[in-house]
Formats: sequence, C-alpha cells, structure tokens
Amino acid sequence: MENITKIKSLFANSWVQGAIPTGLLVLLIVIVELASPGFLTGETLALLLSNTAVLFILATGVTFVILIGGIDLSIQAVASLASVILAQLLPSMGFAAFPVAILSGLGFGLLSGIVHVRLRVPSFVATLATGGVVAGIALWIANGRAITIEEAGRVNTIWINETVVGVPVVVLLAIAVGLISFLILRYTRFGRYSFAVGAGESAAYAAGINVDRTKVIAFAISGTLAAIAGVILASRLSSGSPSLANQLLLPAIAAVIVGGTAITGGLGGVGRTAVGALIISIVRIGMTFVGVNIFAENVIFGAVLIGAVAITIDRSKIAIIK
Amino acid sequence: MLAAKGISKSFIAGTYALNNVDIEIRPNEVVGLIGENGAGKSTLMRVLSGTHRPDSGTLTLDGQPLRLRNSSAAAANGIGMVFQEQSLLLNLTVAENIYLGQEQQFTRFGIVNWRAMHEASRRQLAKIGVDIDVTARTSELTFAARQMVELAKALTLEESVDRPLVILLDEPTSVLSASDIDVLFARVRSLKSRASFVFVSHRLDEVLRISDRVYTMKDGKVVAEHEAAKVTGPELHEIMVGRGLHTEYYKEAQQIAPQSEVMVEAKDLGISGFFHNVDFSIRAGEVVGIAGVVGSGREELTRAVGGFLPHTQGTLKIAGETVRLTSPGQAVRKSVGYIPRERRVEGLVMFLSIAENITLADLSHVMRRGAIDYGKERRVATDWIKRLRIKAPGPDTACRKLSGGNQQKVVLARWMTAGSRILILDHPTRGLDVGAKEEVYEFIRQLSGQGIAILLLSDTLEETIGLSHTVLVMRDGEITARFDAAAGKKPDQVELVAAMV
Repeated sequence: MENITKIKSLFANSWVQGAIPTGLLVLLIVIVELASPGFLTGETLALLLSNTAVLFILATGVTFVILIGGIDLSIQAVASLASVILAQLLPSMGFAAFPVAILSGLGFGLLSGIVHVRLRVPSFVATLATGGVVAGIALWIANGRAITIEEAGRVNTIWINETVVGVPVVVLLAIAVGLISFLILRYTRFGRYSFAVGAGESAAYAAGINVDRTKVIAFAISGTLAAIAGVILASRLSSGSPSLANQLLLPAIAAVIVGGTAITGGLGGVGRTAVGALIISIVRIGMTFVGVNIFAENVIFGAVLIGAVAITIDRSKIAIIK
Repeated sequence: MLAAKGISKSFIAGTYALNNVDIEIRPNEVVGLIGENGAGKSTLMRVLSGTHRPDSGTLTLDGQPLRLRNSSAAAANGIGMVFQEQSLLLNLTVAENIYLGQEQQFTRFGIVNWRAMHEASRRQLAKIGVDIDVTARTSELTFAARQMVELAKALTLEESVDRPLVILLDEPTSVLSASDIDVLFARVRSLKSRASFVFVSHRLDEVLRISDRVYTMKDGKVVAEHEAAKVTGPELHEIMVGRGLHTEYYKEAQQIAPQSEVMVEAKDLGISGFFHNVDFSIRAGEVVGIAGVVGSGREELTRAVGGFLPHTQGTLKIAGETVRLTSPGQAVRKSVGYIPRERRVEGLVMFLSIAENITLADLSHVMRRGAIDYGKERRVATDWIKRLRIKAPGPDTACRKLSGGNQQKVVLARWMTAGSRILILDHPTRGLDVGAKEEVYEFIRQLSGQGIAILLLSDTLEETIGLSHTVLVMRDGEITARFDAAAGKKPDQVELVAAMV
C-alpha cells in the first residue's frame, strides 16, 4: 500500500514537473507514426498544427488564469462573440474589425477579473456568469444565427489561411502568442507575481504585491487571447457564430492540465500548455482513426481531464476539495 | 495503565521525530510532557491518539498490546485528545459539537432527538462544573469556554468506554489567560479520580503546577523523568534546552542605545473594536516590544503598522510622514517589512525558490532593461545564503524544503533586499529550535545596530524583555504601562504581568 502511494506521488511529481506530458506526447507521435507512416509530414502535419493553433491560443489564455489559482469558464463565449463581431463588422469596417473584436475580449476579460477581485466572487462563478452574459450578447448581435463572411469581407481574412514558406499563418500566430506569453511569464514582474499569487496568495500579499491587479491582468489576457482565437477561427471557417467555439472550453482546459500546469495554481507554464494542446490534438486524430464518433469527442476529453487532475493533484497539500 | 515502549517515528529518512521513546501513564495521574518546539511532543501525542502509526515500538494498555489504526480506535480504548488548535466547528451549537460524529445514539429513523442530545450535553458540562448554554453557537463562546466544551467532548468517551479514560491535552493553555488557566487546572484536578491526563506544554511553571510526574523531551527522545514535587523550573529548563538561562542568551551585551531619529510615531492611534488612544514611537535602532494577552489589541496594532488593517483613529507617521496604510504594498513602499508568525502562510511562498522569495518584495534590483535578470537574482540570493548562513543546497531550492529557522532567514533577507528600515517581528522565533532562536536574536541585535527600527511581538515575556529597548504593555486595547528595558536595567516579569491582567 505504502509503495503504491510512493509510486503515485512520484508520478504526480514528475507530471507536474513536465516530464510525463512530454513523454506522453512522444509516445503518441510514435504510435501515430507506426499506425500510419508518413502521416506527420507535409500537408497532414500542417493541418494538424493549424487545428492545434486555435486550441493552443485559447489554452494559453486560460493558462494565465490557472497559474494565479483561478479558472476562466468564459473563454468559449468570448471567442464566439469575437467571431460574431468580426463577421458583422468586416463588410463595413474592413480590417479594423479585427482590433474591435479582439478588444471585446479584453473588455470582458477585465470585467471578469474586476468582478472576481472587487466583489470577491470566486472566479468560476464570476466567469460562468460573464460567460453567460457574453454568450447572450453574441446571440443577440447575431440574431441567433451564424453570419457568413461574404466575398467582400473575405479579402481581409484570406491572409490568415495563407502559408509562409510552407508554414500556415495560423501556426505562426500561435507560435508568436506562445513566445510572447512565455516571455511575459518568465521575465516580467507580472509573470513572477502570477506564480507567487498562485502558489501562496497570502504570502504574496504580505510581501507587498498588488494581488488584485495581478489577477485582473491575468483575466484580461485570457479574454484577449480567447478573442484572438475566436477571430482566427472565424477567418478560417469564413463564418462567425454565437456557438462557434462552443466545444472548445473543455479541450482547452484539458490541454492546460494535461500539459502539466497545476489546477491549484503557481506551477506550470505556456510550454507545457503547448505540449498539452498537441496531446489533445493527436488524441482527437487518433479517435477519428479508431473510429470514435466525432460527437463523442468531449466524452474522451472529459475523462482525460478528470484523469489528469486526479493524477496530478498532490493531496498532501490540499486537505479539502470544494 | 497506558504505556509506550521503544516508539520510533521518522518522517524524513535519517532524522527521527521520535527515537526509542518510553513513557508510562498511570491511573489517576497527570503526566506532564515538556520540550521545546520540535522535540517530538506533538508527534508522541499523535501516536498515542492513533493519528500517527509508529515505525517501531509498542503501545500497551493494562499490559495488553494495543494497536491503534486511527483516532477512533484510540477513542474506543478510552484515549481522547483535546487539540491545541481547537477542533470545534464554530457554526454548530455546543451540543452538536460535543456529540459530533456520535449522533446515532440520539437518532431514531434518521431523525435526531435534539432534546435528548441537549440533555446529555448538559450532563457532560455539569461533570466539569461549567455552566454553558448547550444551544449557543460555538462562535459566540469565549476561547476559554470553547476549551471547556472541548474537554467535555473528550469526556463523552466515558459513556461508551468501560474503563478509566486517558485524556491528552495538547498545549491547552497557550491562548488562555491566567485566570482561565486556573479554572482549567481546577477541572483537571477534580477529574483525576476518573481519568488520567497527559499535559503538554512548553511553559514549565504550569507543567509543574498541574503534573504529578514530568517527562522532558529533547530531539525526539525522552531525556528525563521527574516527580514534579522534586524538581524546579530552572532545573527542567536546563535539561530541556541544554543550557542554563542567562542574559547572554538574548545577547544583552550587544544591546546598544537607539539613535535619535524617530521612524514610527503613533498618536491617539486606534481601530474601533480593537485598540484606541495608542501613543508610541520607535526610533532608528530601537526594539520596541509589546506585551499583552490575546485580545489586548497588540496583534491588531502591529497589523495596522504593517498595512493589513488600516487605522480608523489618530495619526501614524512613518519617517516623519503622516500615512494611512491600507495594504501591505503601501507599507512596503514606506520601507516597512513584516515578518509574520504564520511563516508558511504569510511569510514565504513555499513553492517558490529561495531566490524568488528574496526578491519578491522588490524586484527592481534584479531587473535589467525591463526583464528579470536570472543570473543577478541568483547572485543576490547566493550572497544572502552566505551572509545569513542559510542551510540550503543553493538559491534554487524551494523554500518548503528548508527548516523553520532557515525559512525565517529567507524572509529576513527579503526585507533587507527591499531596503526596509522598519521591521515588524510578529513572533519571530515561533516554532524554531533553540539554536535557530539564538541566531534570530543575533540578527535582531545586528539589525538594531544598523539603525533598523523594530516592533516586536513575542511568545514569551522573557524574550520580549530580553530583546527590547522599550516594553509597552497593552490591555483591553490600551497601553497600560511602559518600561525602559536598557541593557542591565531590564524590568522584572512580575511587573509586566501586573499591567497585563
């Protein structure tokens, strides 16, 4: 019994230290390569990475919030709203529709953050509520329907579907988002404060850190990145819809946790989220291979998320889970 | 009656929390268990109460071997524990707390017969002769009254166990006032005819007053056993800490007179409900100690200076500037550093490294062109590790892996890095072993010598008097006395106590 506990704790430790997710990713790649040699080259690889890009950007945003010890459940609604705003405004505003759509994400991210810290509402309730508000606004603006981006608007979205020396632009965007996020977390005061707040909020507060500001910034980043993911998705599909990103919340959070960022905060990072997002994408492909019904996808992701959290939580540090 | 033989318990490979411990609890006696923090008292109590299982050694009850799988197994054998940190649920009533987990005896068809439970609770409280409303919410009770409820709860075992009880009291007096302690002791004495007690404390005088026999623990071992009547406090102290009490312990020879610059000045300072009309000042290089019991307002006063609780009356000046601190961040910017008693919660971010904790309050020293310079941060931390003799493999070691004394040094290094000129030391030696305490005393002298103004709250009067230049005594939210405590002219503890209660 004691040995099992030890093995389990060793496993949990190496998971949150990032070793196991990377190993898992390599294993999955090997399996895919064996099952279908040459699958991970050229066009299919480009497609896999493009599909991962949106998920990764969404997951990167929520990584900031999970690192400070919170959660953001509003990201899929924020992404959908951004897609609707983009589709609605492209014909009249042209390229300026992009910043407007992205700023909507920043705005609602700030709102979630402020509600959370000022009114002292737990983040899952605050973002569940703002997510509901945002989803309602998106439905209202779009009149409940998907808005197709017509020929006139597509002039401004076509660039997202291009490739640069064989690399899809969406992948480059994801890499840029990932790199900037990595630098922010590693080299700025905000980044350091995020880890401190997530790992020990009282101690961070006592050390003079502005905990509230750190939290609000994290939610603002999450909202902004969700909106960026939304506009990319809309551009790729040439359509904005109030339900466009509806199936993405669960895989995004699963990607963060599977990648090795602790759900309890203070431990993890963007690199791990990249690994997690790739794992989720490959699992998704694998399911298609094996012939799992596409509608059953989230059944698997839900199970994966529960498994990853259950394995990685170190119960000696948290006595009671509410 | 209850005996432990050869008990060993190790949490970290190579170090023993308990090392081959033998103790024996006889019928109708009070056994005192003393030792410094970390000596193994609490671990031994947990072994006796079934929460920890020993690695080796045996427990026997009336000569029969006893294996305790958990605390309910201990309860079934008549061993009850009154916890140091009270285990009562404040949102429940007194009666609900006393019979928490034992409701089945009042239950029929899933419905609890409250009247029967209240009646039974009254009987339990009557046993220890206290008059507490069993239907009151526990949160409305004073701390001392809660302790009595806790004791009554432990005594409910009498109903289910057909043998004399063993009640373990883990530091029950640490937050009680002197008169409440008298009441508790009177109850314990009157209950001796039906139960044995183990009384854990680090206050020697109390242990000697209540106990029949005293075991002294040090470094996980029982090092002495005495009849309480045949030993004195100073003798026990010498065994416990391994040295006699003398002024050198507090480095009194290094105490020098403070400078003239006033760093902190409070006038008519108050927070409604906690303290009022408080006047005091701290000069550069001065250590001002505040003595007082729980509820005297001294905790809140220090929290106010640290920015945790903004004051509502009077004025507070820091380095000559009138301020109202509404967050620790503001206090930090006014060069106030706070070393909290809850080191693991408020002192350090335990999962971050030594280096990250040292620079947490002020990253500006290690920023280069807007980015954290990791090389420089490590050098700063390595430098502090050397200067403060922090025992750690390196600056990247997570703080949770350090011992209490070394953690305290990291907190200190943080405030020195941030350039704090005023330090609030809130029980700086709590939970530290003797050697680590002595190092902290040494640092306090050095800091004071460098002109740092220090506000000190401490666990013992001895420490407060020994370290301070000036001692303020607080009672019921007011300063009731001031004592000059210059080197060689230290006030007597008795004088302070008179002003405290």
